[in-house]
Amino acid sequence: MCYLDNSATTRPSRPVVESVTKSMTEGFYNPSALYSPAVAAEKEITACRKLIRAELNADSVVFVSGGTEANNLAILGTMLQKRDRGSVLFSAVEHPSVREACLRLKSQGHDVKEIPVDARGIIDLEAFQSILSPDTRLICVMHVNNETGAVQPIGEMSLLRQTYCPQALLHVDGVQGFLRVPLSMTQWNVDSYSLSAHKIHGPKGIGALALRGRKAPSPLMLGGGQEGNIRSGTENTPGIAGLQAAVENYPLANNMHALKMKLFSALRSAIPAIRVNGPAPDSPSAAPHILNVSFPPVRSETMLHALETKKVYVGIGSACSTRKKQTSTVLSAMNVPADQAQSAIRFSLNPYITEKEIDFAADACAQQYSVLCRFERR
Amino acid sequence: MRNLIMVRYGEIYLKGQNRPFFLKLLVSRIRDALRCQHAKVWLNDSRIYVSDFDSQDECIIRLVKVFGVHSVCPAVEMDKSNFEDICKQATKMMEGLHGTFKVQARRSDKRFFMDSPQINAAVGEYILTSRPDLQVDVRKADHLMNIEIRDNAYLYVKVIPGAGGMPVGSNGKAALLLSGGIDSPVAGYMIAKRGVELCAVHFYSFPYTGERAKDKVLDLARILSVSACGVRVYVVPFTEIQMKIHELCPPDYTTLIMRRCMMRIADRIAEKAGAQVLVTGESIGQVASQTMDALVCTDAVSSRPVFRPLIGFDKVDIVAYAKQIGTYETSCLPYEDCCTVFTPKHPVTHPKIDKTELAEAPLELQRLINDAVENVEITDV
Repeated sequence: MCYLDNSATTRPSRPVVESVTKSMTEGFYNPSALYSPAVAAEKEITACRKLIRAELNADSVVFVSGGTEANNLAILGTMLQKRDRGSVLFSAVEHPSVREACLRLKSQGHDVKEIPVDARGIIDLEAFQSILSPDTRLICVMHVNNETGAVQPIGEMSLLRQTYCPQALLHVDGVQGFLRVPLSMTQWNVDSYSLSAHKIHGPKGIGALALRGRKAPSPLMLGGGQEGNIRSGTENTPGIAGLQAAVENYPLANNMHALKMKLFSALRSAIPAIRVNGPAPDSPSAAPHILNVSFPPVRSETMLHALETKKVYVGIGSACSTRKKQTSTVLSAMNVPADQAQSAIRFSLNPYITEKEIDFAADACAQQYSVLCRFERR
Repeated sequence: MRNLIMVRYGEIYLKGQNRPFFLKLLVSRIRDALRCQHAKVWLNDSRIYVSDFDSQDECIIRLVKVFGVHSVCPAVEMDKSNFEDICKQATKMMEGLHGTFKVQARRSDKRFFMDSPQINAAVGEYILTSRPDLQVDVRKADHLMNIEIRDNAYLYVKVIPGAGGMPVGSNGKAALLLSGGIDSPVAGYMIAKRGVELCAVHFYSFPYTGERAKDKVLDLARILSVSACGVRVYVVPFTEIQMKIHELCPPDYTTLIMRRCMMRIADRIAEKAGAQVLVTGESIGQVASQTMDALVCTDAVSSRPVFRPLIGFDKVDIVAYAKQIGTYETSCLPYEDCCTVFTPKHPVTHPKIDKTELAEAPLELQRLINDAVENVEITDV
């Protein structure tokens, strides 16, 4: 088997499974209770919080159920506090959890604008600058795009914000970027950053919103006042233990970039017709773990199922959108031609992938393509 | 006094000497449908009665889906000797209802001391004295208070329409070509409604369609199977045939030849399954493969009749029907259209049989069809 859909989710690593199991069997106490085992459970949470704070240079960390909730909290929770209806900007390639939250604000009367991207799926800085104004209240942009692996110019955007609307908050969706592309919230003046455990070999159902130098967002979940009253609900202690183990054990030094390049060159030499969706794979704007290529004229779904027979599992865009029958909003924002968009395949790696697996996947693609490309629509 | 459900049947009334056969079958279909409700089902005096159920509402939901059931009435059965009690019960059953009403008595026990008009008048008057807000309207009443005097007295107000049709199993067996689109489940439903037992044939083109597309078809078959009393689904591996057609046949004929292959395979499966006819969801002129000429061409390869219950339906009517029988939403799930790679840009719309035969001549039809039939995957839903 060769699992290359790690941007959809990853397999929890052994230390993560052990940590979660230990938390469930031994440290199951409610961290809000008063006896000593409960206090120990609370300390575990504090330890994980500290770890993530250090990793991102954040001031505080709020544990939530995952990336979607973190983004919702950052966007809706922030704008709930704003008395005035200042404008909200989000990039045209955002994940639905950001896009839909922003569109909700729009339906409530906020001025919401899309930041255009270029053909590589990277923010068009000139266009971005032109829509910044003193009225801008919130800017939402993803660190790494989930479909194309494009790394957004957070640093440059932050500087422009500093010049044109210093009071605007910058929210970065780091679900695909956290640990895979380094980022310091202090260095780039990022005000909030979302992350999710299951993309880095942690368990599903746990994520966090990291905050720095800003007022905390208003809670979307009301109740017992956990997480500093920002996110009520008994803490997901096994999830947090799993997140901690995932962060501690993530191999920061890895050769994903090299293997991605190997996969790309193997594909290019076997199938000259392939087209890259996103930045050039070897450019600094391309994340080390995501490669999106089109195999015209073979449609994405057909290629995916054909690779499935070889036990090579890949993605077609965002897993959240496969239930909808339409071309990806990300690829259409990049003006990718329809036939290219309809044959896009996303390979996403993890640090444990071996060279052998990459060779195997490239071979499988070449073999299946050579059969399928003959069945072009006439 | 007890609550029960009175089930009325429709068309079976028209049957002459065969009526007992149909009734027996209908009772057994109802028993099957209500098995999980532990209900007692019996036939008496040209009505089917259901009693001793766990939940009346659940029974009704199930009953209205049984083919052969004309309507279902939640009723009260009571001793007919105390007329005052009957009046009281009738008044009680009018609680919460407003507007106009009419009492409609039927007396099959002719020894009963009042005749039907007398019962109507007496019960109507009784109701009016305690419910002065109601009015009697004998022509167009909002509510009909039915009182049937048989071995016992049966009272009911609500009449819930059933699915109609004939009990499944009363009319042979058919093999339905089930694609996963909107039309074929409707066609299957219509045929099953006439008392026909169904099996379904689905053509599976992995990797052009995936596991989810197959699940969707099984889900559709599952929806049909509630009314059709179980459906066996034959999933036919079809990719090789499609690829060969694409490779060897003229592009404008590929869809038509594909349809002919489907018919041949369905015909073979029907033979195995003991089905006498094939059923498709085609309607004249809907797409290129459904023009009159194309239909004639596909018909020619089936050794058994091909029934097309939707033949004269417009698409909007088919959609409305699909919504009514609850298959529309599943049909609209997006995992199906991957076969478009095999759809030619300009399919032939007025094919001739001799030309079609010539076009498919390069195919090793016998072997391809044998292979497909041999590798069929069977699922009972």
